[in-house]
Amino acid sequence: MDLSVLERVKWLQQQQMVSPEFFEILGSDGREELRRVESYLGNNNDELQSFRHYETIDGCISRTSSFQMEQVKNNEENRVIALQNKRKTEGKTEKRENKKKKIKTEDETESSMKGKSNMSNSETSSEIEKRDYIHVRARRGEATDRHSLAERARREKLSKKMKCLQDIVPGCNKVTGKAGMLDEIINYVQSLQQQVEFLSMKLSVLNPELEFHINELSTKQFQACFTDLPEAVSKQSMMVDASSFPLHQTTSLDYSVKNSNQTISLGSKEQTSWEIHSQCLYNNLRTDSVSNFFSFK
Amino acid sequence: MERQIINKKKRVFSVEPNKIPPSEVFTRKYTSHLVPALKKLNMNKNSSQVNQLTVKHEVDMALALSAQEFAWSRFLLQKLSSSNNPTTATSSSSNGIRIQERSGKEGGGDEDGEIEEKLRELQKLLPGGEEMNVEEMLSEIGTYIKCLELQTIALKSMVQDTT
Repeated sequence: MDLSVLERVKWLQQQQMVSPEFFEILGSDGREELRRVESYLGNNNDELQSFRHYETIDGCISRTSSFQMEQVKNNEENRVIALQNKRKTEGKTEKRENKKKKIKTEDETESSMKGKSNMSNSETSSEIEKRDYIHVRARRGEATDRHSLAERARREKLSKKMKCLQDIVPGCNKVTGKAGMLDEIINYVQSLQQQVEFLSMKLSVLNPELEFHINELSTKQFQACFTDLPEAVSKQSMMVDASSFPLHQTTSLDYSVKNSNQTISLGSKEQTSWEIHSQCLYNNLRTDSVSNFFSFK
Repeated sequence: MERQIINKKKRVFSVEPNKIPPSEVFTRKYTSHLVPALKKLNMNKNSSQVNQLTVKHEVDMALALSAQEFAWSRFLLQKLSSSNNPTTATSSSSNGIRIQERSGKEGGGDEDGEIEEKLRELQKLLPGGEEMNVEEMLSEIGTYIKCLELQTIALKSMVQDTT
């Protein structure tokens, strides 16, 4: 039984290998062709068709260059599950459409491993000219045309970003749904901006009396406010753990110099050296972690 | 020389620059921009003419200068430098809004419209937000919020230091 399953699987895979080419050559007729071929299989239709689920079973199949092996493996594993599912005819086209979204190298490795004909090889390579692809996992029962796939990919990206924003903005966890979250975010940004305005107003009032006892910002002083700094590195958003962010508390950063003998006001000389120093730090940091942090791609 | 001073304060100064979190880097840069600017303001206008606008301007400038890896800081800088000139061309135009209509995905058009409205509002809040598309804007908003938070901390500490 297993052997026959494997054989069927391989045949199926071959089918799928060939199908994009059929599309190119025959257009809509290709689908008809394939359906006809499939109908030849008779009662095995159900099983065969359920085999095709393996690509569409949501979330679990990644389209990497080891696509080939995973196909076989997942196929066998998911056969039982797949057999229980009903299948729409769209599922068939789903895969082919998905294939068009794959990376060129993927297709080539597949085709080479399959030992396909040269024609089909050239077809796949010629049909896929571009270099960057969107990995899309089309789910069962969903539309499979290019537009909806792209749309879905876009939506997933957006929801991923919304989740990151949820981490940043405090109080977003309780609200569900995009609209509520967006509301919270808007309120938060507005309140932050108002705070900045208020503080700058205060500063402008106090400005004449300002004696800048400010020394270099000690890392410890800021760590008093920022908690979990090393752990936050792994997060996608910026460092500060939002939940512990004491923005609304009255923590005071003690800027004043601890050692009174060394009150250093920011003269131009020290300032420039400090600026240079911080610039060095910034430049060193910038190339690796910062760019990683803020890349929401 | 700085290091000696730092060591005397028993401060933990990371020797490996790679381990310094960007929040600290940002805050340092921010204060290093803002404080001298305020001092200069102070000195230049010897009278008590330091009005709110100029301080706000400096505050925003410091924010923009200390976060130069983000798109919104670029827009902010543009806005600030253009606001210096009397002939300001408004950079925020609403023709850059590219929110696509998600046809029939949610139940009704209302929900979609609400969300889009909110996204537009968010775009208005973010400097330069109206010229980005929605995805970009969402990522930029995250970093903008963080920088705003750090900015408020720095400002608070400065205010508290003087009172």
